[in-house]
Amino acid sequence: MTLTTIRKGGLLAVAIASLLASPAFAKVTVLGWPGGPEETALRAATDVYNAKPDVAENDKVELLFFNRDGFWDKLQADLAAGSKAFDVNLLATYSIGRYAPFMEPVELSGEAVSVYGDAVLKTMQYEGKQFGVPTDLSLHFMYYRKDLIDALMKDDAAKAKYAEISQKHLGKKLEPKSPDEWNWDDYAATALYFTQAVNPDSPTRYGTVLQLKNLLFNMMVFQSLPRAYGGNWMDDAGKITVNSEAYRKGLETYKLLYDAGATPRDSLSYEFAEANAAYASGQVAAMMQWNAAASDLTSKEKSPTVAEVTDTVAPPAGPEGRFTHIHGLGFGLNKNAENKAGAQAFIKWLSSKEAALTYARHNGAPALTPDVVAEVAKERPDLVKLGEFASKYGYVMNGGTSAKALTVYELQAKEFTGYWSGQQSIDDALANTEKGMAELLK
Amino acid sequence: MNTQRAPSSEFRLLATPLVIFLLVFLGFPAIVNLIYSISDVSFETLRRPKITGLSNFVAVWNDSAFWQATWFSLRFGALTALLECGLGLILAIFLSPLIEKRSWLMAILMLPLMVAPALVGLMYRLVLHEFAGPVPYYLWAWFGASLSFLGPTSAFWTLIVVETLQWTPFALLLFYMAYRAIPTEVVEASAMDGARRWSLLWYIELPLMAPTIAVALLIRFIDGFRVFDNVYVLTGSGPGGSTASLSIYIYEAFFKQGAIGKAVAASVILFVVSFAVLYGLNVIASRRKGVLK
Repeated sequence: MTLTTIRKGGLLAVAIASLLASPAFAKVTVLGWPGGPEETALRAATDVYNAKPDVAENDKVELLFFNRDGFWDKLQADLAAGSKAFDVNLLATYSIGRYAPFMEPVELSGEAVSVYGDAVLKTMQYEGKQFGVPTDLSLHFMYYRKDLIDALMKDDAAKAKYAEISQKHLGKKLEPKSPDEWNWDDYAATALYFTQAVNPDSPTRYGTVLQLKNLLFNMMVFQSLPRAYGGNWMDDAGKITVNSEAYRKGLETYKLLYDAGATPRDSLSYEFAEANAAYASGQVAAMMQWNAAASDLTSKEKSPTVAEVTDTVAPPAGPEGRFTHIHGLGFGLNKNAENKAGAQAFIKWLSSKEAALTYARHNGAPALTPDVVAEVAKERPDLVKLGEFASKYGYVMNGGTSAKALTVYELQAKEFTGYWSGQQSIDDALANTEKGMAELLK
Repeated sequence: MNTQRAPSSEFRLLATPLVIFLLVFLGFPAIVNLIYSISDVSFETLRRPKITGLSNFVAVWNDSAFWQATWFSLRFGALTALLECGLGLILAIFLSPLIEKRSWLMAILMLPLMVAPALVGLMYRLVLHEFAGPVPYYLWAWFGASLSFLGPTSAFWTLIVVETLQWTPFALLLFYMAYRAIPTEVVEASAMDGARRWSLLWYIELPLMAPTIAVALLIRFIDGFRVFDNVYVLTGSGPGGSTASLSIYIYEAFFKQGAIGKAVAASVILFVVSFAVLYGLNVIASRRKGVLK
């Protein structure tokens, strides 16, 4: 090998390395949530921003994505290592406290309050400071088969059977109601009625599908039930209140449905995708699920069996009202950003009305105030419901944005699934959760 | 042949790169791990851990989840090693004449090894899903009911079957090579002495394959004991942590709970116990070797 060959090889290697490392030279590098509607929306918004004449060449935005699997863990490691690979990074309500030490508060545009409203902006706040702009909101819908419920409401014999089943399993005679008027007992009674193991004449195999995998996100779906009975993680004085009648009611309702066969036996390994597949098969009457499933479950191409007979309402009510867990995905400022001014300018623009509407028109899920969402209501009718439910029923548990919030969900997932699978009693599950949470949230 | 010893200075010079490599890539992480295991440390304090003594080890020792994960790993490792080696041995012996004539068969049999374990987990998550998977579909179609493959009582056995299906070809490969390496003269001599097929297998072939069987059992036990990918993808840590292996326990303590000290303490315990077991086996093997001499 001659010296010239080595030199040529070296130059080629440097050129390839430069190309591969191009994101590192970006003016403002934004680390986004890959592979879903959030990526599509962010790309569209970024194109609009970069095309603006007043955005300096040095402040143009380039996007960086890595895999969704283990995203938060990798982000944690990167931030803790003082990474400068990105200036702006993704942020979620439940992880703000965990990442806040490695980030800086941000300044939003003057339009932010009128575009998003205070409740939604709060999903990106930690200890009173704004750490991000809330670009996507997640909450829960109750998806149900309106054809089945309509048929049930019209049939007197079916109503009698419904009352008999509710008396036997729930200890009270209930009548079928419109899903928008359901409380959690109505939901349980309907789930039992549409279960073949309970009612052999049921047109569906299961009345509902519960997501019972030992996974933190499943606890977010579950906790709207205890919340409707007044449940909370802790009171205003900081005392853990999870060992309560409200949580007991929620846990027992799930256990009753699982033991009665109202949800598949494998539900203990189910999460988002499995629950969607079960519902889309046409063998499930109703379920609680993330709003993100709406486009698939109402698409004739993707869910031909149920798309035209599926409707959505907010989760059922309890004595304390009707609630849906909300959390936001958004973008915040890396403390070690190399171009802080440019990053801050992009974040400020991202919280403007122009950016929010661009984001909404390209598959994003921002929770917008009624005046703003009206401008995209024809293209995105689902966003109207999203904004309405978020403002009417949205809540964040006390401690839900703390540094240990994710760990609290992990703890609950382990203890509660232990009870649902019959490995421990409800008393042990609640006592262990209370003890663990007291340690984590002290 | 005459061999000449290199001068000690030259020897040191030649060994230096290896020593530096070991110090940097093994020594440094090992020391950091030891420090973290006796410290109160989080992602915010990675560079300034606070030494707290043995509290992390006490926390791990008193954590029922650690023992649950240890028991899972032991059972999983032992059962999968036995099943894979048992099946691999049977297949190697019975398929040997066939593979000898059609060597492409071996390539087909090795295919499961080419799939990443995480992908195997994902694949079975789909295959066993009651509404999307072919197995439950046909069970419902033919029998009107299906097993709950990932339910609380069957998840462990489903995981065992998935692991066994993927790794039996590894044992088969080792045993086939060992079986083929048995000297034909020995087999022929035994046959001429009147040994029947069963006696030949039991008294001649298996003893000659014993070292390979022992190595395969050890490798498969270690692999099963430290299982992570396919179990994590298929069932996570399971309801109540029922399918959490030690690797999953350490991963969750580190990343999910942010309990870095506790996770590292658990890994140190795991290292010490593994080292003791391997050292013990080595001593036993050396003694046996001495006796045989």
